[in-house]
Amino acid sequence: MLGELINPYYLQVASFILINIILGLSIYVTLASGQLSLGSAGFMAVGAYTTALLTTNFEVPLLVGILAGVMLAGIFGIIVGIPSLRLRGVFLAIATLGFGEIVRVFIVNTESLTKGAIGISGIPQLGREILDKLEVIGFDPEILGLKANQFTFLIVFILLLIIVIVLVCFFSRQKNSRVGRAFSAINMDEQAAASMGINVTYYKVLSFTQGAMLAGLAGALYAHVLSYISPADFTYHKAVEILTFSVFGGSEVVGGAIFGATFLTLLPETLRAISEYRYMIYGILLVVMMAYRPQGVIDEQMMRWFKRRKGRRQQHGTENK
Amino acid sequence: MVLKINNISKQFGGITALSNVSFSITEGEILGLIGPNGAGKTTMFNMITSVLAPTSGDISFYDEQISGLKSHQITTKGICRTFQNIRLFPEMTVIENVMTGSHCRTKSGVWKSVFRTKSQKQEEKEIYDKAKQLLETVNLLKERETLGKNLAYGQQRRLEIARALASEPKLLLLDEPAAGMNEQETVELHRLITKIRDMGITILLIEHDMPLVMKTCDRIVVLNFGKKIAEGEPKAIQSNPEVIKAYLGTEGDDDIA
Ligand SMILES: Nc1ncnc2c1ncn2[C@@H]1O[C@H](COP(=O)(O)OP(=O)(O)OP(=O)(O)O)[C@@H](O)[C@H]1O
Ligand SMILES: [Mg+2]
Repeated sequence: MLGELINPYYLQVASFILINIILGLSIYVTLASGQLSLGSAGFMAVGAYTTALLTTNFEVPLLVGILAGVMLAGIFGIIVGIPSLRLRGVFLAIATLGFGEIVRVFIVNTESLTKGAIGISGIPQLGREILDKLEVIGFDPEILGLKANQFTFLIVFILLLIIVIVLVCFFSRQKNSRVGRAFSAINMDEQAAASMGINVTYYKVLSFTQGAMLAGLAGALYAHVLSYISPADFTYHKAVEILTFSVFGGSEVVGGAIFGATFLTLLPETLRAISEYRYMIYGILLVVMMAYRPQGVIDEQMMRWFKRRKGRRQQHGTENK
Repeated sequence: MVLKINNISKQFGGITALSNVSFSITEGEILGLIGPNGAGKTTMFNMITSVLAPTSGDISFYDEQISGLKSHQITTKGICRTFQNIRLFPEMTVIENVMTGSHCRTKSGVWKSVFRTKSQKQEEKEIYDKAKQLLETVNLLKERETLGKNLAYGQQRRLEIARALASEPKLLLLDEPAAGMNEQETVELHRLITKIRDMGITILLIEHDMPLVMKTCDRIVVLNFGKKIAEGEPKAIQSNPEVIKAYLGTEGDDDIA
């Protein structure tokens, strides 16, 4: 029964949507403190290559590899974030784009370690690994009426979904807290923020590093979902694509990244004809959004409106009791 | 002694914005800092709050050197300011603006915020209640869910004061709080400033509205072209020939009498 419902192709697309949501969040969280970073593709590459090399060459467990990727991306975030404090707006964007290119060129040129432009294949697959572990304790996907490959796609999707839900909760809560207010204050007026006792340096580096870690996580997951990575996956096209998720969906709110990544991942999948022109479409979208709705499709006002409606309905609810 | 300004000078390229200015403020006092446009008043605030570093001289707060500290550290020590050209957080609501002012008196970091620990919830509730109370003080409680940018001019000035108060300052620096206010609002502002003083907060007030200055301040320091030209009680300042000359020199846009 379940077996007929589960289509590996759809699950694969859904898994990419989830990874792209994490990437969108990485832009959102850096922008929250007013920093426009185009380094996501670079941080993603750091995460992806770290875990790919560790797991393929040293048979490190996946979880350890992924965590190492996230940590290393975070360390790079701090290293890039601190000197970037002097840079604003477009200058920061260019510098971080430069970082991404440095990472990519480094990977291409250190063939002995990274296999250069050819890329790394045979990276342990997340779903396969989980299934192997489960089979050891006597689990058989047949119990669920699933073929092995259906099960691996399904379990990857579920795992990613859980990760995304946890991250969305994490960043929504952070937004409505002392830390989130410090980010917004810095975003709106750095000098006023400092005058209110906010350590601007600390919070800017924190938000930049969180963004780097998210991109690193997305990269690491990407490596283990696809099982093949190459420098071509982390070019500046990717950086622009990631930026588009957030800018189109809405860069002020967590929901914006979710909407943007979902919509823009589904679009080329559903309309095959468009697929070829996707970068052109991203370009047009960016220009149109900047001109007419710079805050993105979903903005803070919309979220407030939802909240107020919800609040009112709850009020009605209690009155009726 | 709350604040001691010791021989502060500030040069901007060729311009001397402040030259060898010294004065001090005692606890519980409202000290006026006046002078014609470009006299160096705002620059003095920028020196005190470390927005800019002085060319020479030093500043101490309760007998402790504060020159060289970062802006946020100075706020944490207990000095908070408002800005001549209002600098609210425009996209935050009124109450969020005030809650942000409590930043340096609260502690919750990322993990506490995300896990909503007991102490974090408690802290949020405390600063929310305090913010409401402060908004009541500046008469903005009804507007608490309005966005900062949507307030009228005079309301924005009052919100800036409430936000500064949320940082629990011992010394409050007000840069032209009456600018852009009508007569009624100015009267209320006078009441507000004395009320803040009665809360035990020392105040340094920059203001061009002379009747307000004369009525509000215990003592006044007068700057002209970066130099201190007079210091004393309002009556004495009003009749000081140097001061009158300085103000007449600016074609009388500030009427000292
Ligand atoms: N950041 C800066 N860079 C260069 N010059 C400056 C800077 N800040 C102030 N100045 C100059 O220093 C002098 C004093 O300026 P300041 O803003 O302190 O005057 P003020 O007394 O506050 O005047 P106003 O009553 O108009 O606000 C002016 O000549 C001003 O142009
Ligand atoms: Mg000024």
